[in-house]
Amino acid sequence: MIQLPSNDFPVTLAFPPQGHWTQPHLALPCLKAWLHASGYGDVEQMDLSVEAFDHFLTAESLTRAAEKVQRRLPLDRFKEDRLPLGQMRAWRAAAESAASAESVIERVEAAKAVLRGQDHTVEAERGFWDPDRYIPAVRTLYHGLRLISSAHYPSELTPHNFTMSYSNDSSEDVLAATLDEEQNPFIEFYREQVMPRLIEREPRVLGLSVLYGSQLIPALTLARMVKAALPDCHITMGGGFLAYIGDKVMAAPGMAECFDSIVFHEGERPLLMLCEALRLGEGLEDVGSLAWWDRSDPDHPVAVKNMAAHPIKLDDAPAPDLDGLPMEKYFSPRVVIPYDVNRGCYYGECTFCTLPTVIGPGYRTRSSETIARHVVELRDRYASTHFNFITDCMPPGMIKDLPERLIEAEAGVTWWADARIEPKAYDADGAKRLYESGCRKLLFGFESATKRILKMMMKGQSLKSVVEVARNCTEADISVTFYAMVGFPTETREEARATLEFIEEHADIIREVSLQTFHIDEVAKTYKEPEQFGIRVLDAPGDLALYHDYEADQGMTQEEAAEMFEEMMASFRRNLAIFSGDNIFYFMQKSHYFLHLASGETPQGFSGRCADRTEARAQRAADPGLKVSPGLVTVPLDFSYSEAVRTLSDPLARAARPDFLTGRYVRDADQVAEEQLPPLEVKERFLLYDAENGEFVELRDGGARVLAALRQHGTLGSLIEAQRRGGASEAALDRLEQFAAELHRLGVLRSKTPTPTPSPALASAQG
Amino acid sequence: MNQNKDQREDAELEDSHDESSEAPTAAGGEALDLEGLDLTVETVEERISPSETNVFDK
Ligand code: SF4
Repeated sequence: MIQLPSNDFPVTLAFPPQGHWTQPHLALPCLKAWLHASGYGDVEQMDLSVEAFDHFLTAESLTRAAEKVQRRLPLDRFKEDRLPLGQMRAWRAAAESAASAESVIERVEAAKAVLRGQDHTVEAERGFWDPDRYIPAVRTLYHGLRLISSAHYPSELTPHNFTMSYSNDSSEDVLAATLDEEQNPFIEFYREQVMPRLIEREPRVLGLSVLYGSQLIPALTLARMVKAALPDCHITMGGGFLAYIGDKVMAAPGMAECFDSIVFHEGERPLLMLCEALRLGEGLEDVGSLAWWDRSDPDHPVAVKNMAAHPIKLDDAPAPDLDGLPMEKYFSPRVVIPYDVNRGCYYGECTFCTLPTVIGPGYRTRSSETIARHVVELRDRYASTHFNFITDCMPPGMIKDLPERLIEAEAGVTWWADARIEPKAYDADGAKRLYESGCRKLLFGFESATKRILKMMMKGQSLKSVVEVARNCTEADISVTFYAMVGFPTETREEARATLEFIEEHADIIREVSLQTFHIDEVAKTYKEPEQFGIRVLDAPGDLALYHDYEADQGMTQEEAAEMFEEMMASFRRNLAIFSGDNIFYFMQKSHYFLHLASGETPQGFSGRCADRTEARAQRAADPGLKVSPGLVTVPLDFSYSEAVRTLSDPLARAARPDFLTGRYVRDADQVAEEQLPPLEVKERFLLYDAENGEFVELRDGGARVLAALRQHGTLGSLIEAQRRGGASEAALDRLEQFAAELHRLGVLRSKTPTPTPSPALASAQG
Repeated sequence: MNQNKDQREDAELEDSHDESSEAPTAAGGEALDLEGLDLTVETVEERISPSETNVFDK
């Protein structure tokens, strides 16, 4: 092992925006630990994704954003007598900002404190555990990001994605996006918050982890800025997304100006070899799994791709090292520690799945003893008992063995993980043992309820075993999530509906569904052997294109699958408790529902509470004591907000933006959409926003008048009295009451009721 | 009723005012023409797009 003075060779590893915001990602901690164990003492890691969220969601940034929206998208700019599709998104952003900016700015810090459990010193009093404080807080943060997005219109940053008007498919677009100060929110963020730190540190190597398509532009934006400021710093990129498109990125013109190399697949060994070569001043030819630019002729860099490195023996790898990550910035009251129990998939047969391909060759695992030892170490080092075991799925042997080792080691942790249906491993006793070892939630690849489709997918599981496994887990109080897929080649609408029905019939044992639309990337079997699946893969324009459209003679078209996705989601929203109403926010925030389970709530108890909330809201009536919510903002509009939102969510309109999943445009879609979706006509409307409640509500002139009268009278009861005295008929008063009840359900009107008692689980919630 | 009520805010209710000067008003004592008013209420459900359901991979 080489021993270096710790400051001899500073390395910085950074996770560029956008990834999820509730817990650290695993890649950098693994790399840091590996470098450290190999003698590199000065390795810094930065989660720039959570830092950016934290930075944008401050009163100061939001105030700046609101001013920018005022300048770039003033509402009165839209004064024509029609609102064409091309302006609808901008108008919507302007309207929402006008209604929400002030209260979002006022509440953003408190909202972050709620999500982070920093709003109260007593655990059980924290807003995180109270849906009526948690959900408005989450909404406030979402609306804060909408404000940031509007300021960089038409870019959109959400907790789940980042897209611009530029397409990820084209290097020309991607590179242009890295320079567009108007639309790229990260240029200013990096300049102000990140570059000064990097310039002071002068790392010899900067490693950027690009797991998702949403990170490509932000990563290259940073890389370009660092390249300009620190020309001697070697910038390397790696991660899941680049395992797919790294070769295309290397072949694209202009990329050599942004960075120096790409590591393919697993990063530990190549990164260490790269650091060694650079430290010793050697060439890069022998660095395994590296693609790099030979700059012998500085004017004409030549792309070189090296041989693959041997994957590491996972059981020898140290535990991930989370030191230096901004733990207090994650949007979660407790750190959920990610830990890699294995890499690759022991099954590896599913025809749609490319996960085992991108991590690198082969399936490797840590032993249960090692895992238990690391879990205890990490628990003590980071003072958290919550774990997310990162795995494509747990092999049956480990499902049996790991619980024993964790119990033996008195780990006292709770954890969740992805899993595959293995009826033998998840029998009743096995499930109980898993629960005892701390397992609180498992996510199974269910995909479809149709045998024919399952066979084509080569899932190797029967519906009988699916039910058996889910029931055993449920009976052991382990929450079950199913991954499901719609639109697999040749799948018909009826078959997709069968999947929907199957899930809903088993809603007592399936708490959450992660529904995906099928898509084809260039690594997938469906791409390589399309005839096996009865499809024709179409060419994808764009030199960085990864995803392809396809045509099928049988089954749903891609558009029909997209419609079916909507139908299924809408049905889940009606029929699964955690998806109903605004409870969906629990599902959307990775690990938050798990933290409730980890704190003693049962899946059934939690679902019951969600269902009760939805039901209680539906039951809200026209109580005489109702008052207008004090924070309510009313903004007059010239067009209908809900019409605009509906139009924009039409598949035709959505196709005109880079697709959320794939970051790709449907060519000419904007033109087609513009032709088929009529512009909005002028209509007098009022947009209501109440920060406490956080939903946008639209009224017409009559409704706004009643609301104004209600404000003046103080309570609904007194308004009704006045109307009665004024001679209003019973039918008219009835209408008024119905209107008031509806506004009550939406939180626009509120009654004085005591704060609801906290849920039973809170009593046991400990810090 | 399942609301998070801050009593202080309720106490302030009397002073609350409409943030928009352009919103219509109705004089306290005047009868509203309740039968003639359009009381339609519209909301838009948070739309969940395919990538956003994949919160576990991302
Ligand atoms: S879908 Fe799951 S079980 Fe199938 S190959 Fe992929 S990771 Fe393995």
